[in-house]
Amino acid sequence: MSALTLYQLVALILLCAGLFGLTQRRSLVGMLICVELMLNGAGLSMVAAAQLTDFSATLGQLGTLFVMGLAAAEATIVLAIVVVVARRFKSARSSDITTLKE
Amino acid sequence: MEIMAKVAFCVYTLVILGGSIFAVTSSSLVRALVGLITTLIGVAGMYMLLATPFMAFMQLLIYVGAVSVLIFFAVMLTRAEQGGDEGEKAPMKTYVLGLAATIAPAAVLGWLVLTRPVASIATPVEVSIKQLGGELMGSYFLPFELISVILMVAMSGAVLLTWEKRGKK
Repeated sequence: MSALTLYQLVALILLCAGLFGLTQRRSLVGMLICVELMLNGAGLSMVAAAQLTDFSATLGQLGTLFVMGLAAAEATIVLAIVVVVARRFKSARSSDITTLKE
Repeated sequence: MEIMAKVAFCVYTLVILGGSIFAVTSSSLVRALVGLITTLIGVAGMYMLLATPFMAFMQLLIYVGAVSVLIFFAVMLTRAEQGGDEGEKAPMKTYVLGLAATIAPAAVLGWLVLTRPVASIATPVEVSIKQLGGELMGSYFLPFELISVILMVAMSGAVLLTWEKRGKK
């Protein structure tokens, strides 16, 4: 098994842990934690693929840096939305804020 | 890979595995956050193994330094602990469906990765920080500027969303 395959498997573990957590978590903040796990898996996979193949290593690293920047922006926005939702519905549970379904 | 690299890879894999399991299954959000931070540090170690110390540094700086503090603020501001949001377990149906939704992509992607290996070189390429900066100011100037605009808009949007007028309450 090549080194790249091993790194991709670790990234796959991160993706699956994030996906599973996203379906199981009861609160919005917990779901945000799981999204961060998935984004980390994507970053690791990109860097490994760029470093261990003939593909441009610079582009891989810069792409992952952009993923990190976007993750920071996303976390900020999600934090603001969670605070607004928690203030309005008095809770941050995903099951409490499904008013459209009722 | 050298023998030490193999050992380090195994250790980081265990750290990532343990951290992510802790982050996903822990019933307290603060503990889940600790699990997330463990995973992030493990990924930073992986970056070191891939000969990208700059990425490892950025991982620690941005994720461990900034993003996890943001999530901690979210935990505090929503009083996630008080109500015991994560206290009760998810119903069986959610569990089974979630497992199915996880296993399907895992099986497809795992099969693809294992049966169609890409030709890979044994030792990672080394890119100097100078080279990275040069590219950032050269070919990838537009995405670099766009990311700063996105960050600015996101920060000001967050401030605007959570703005409370004084005396309203």
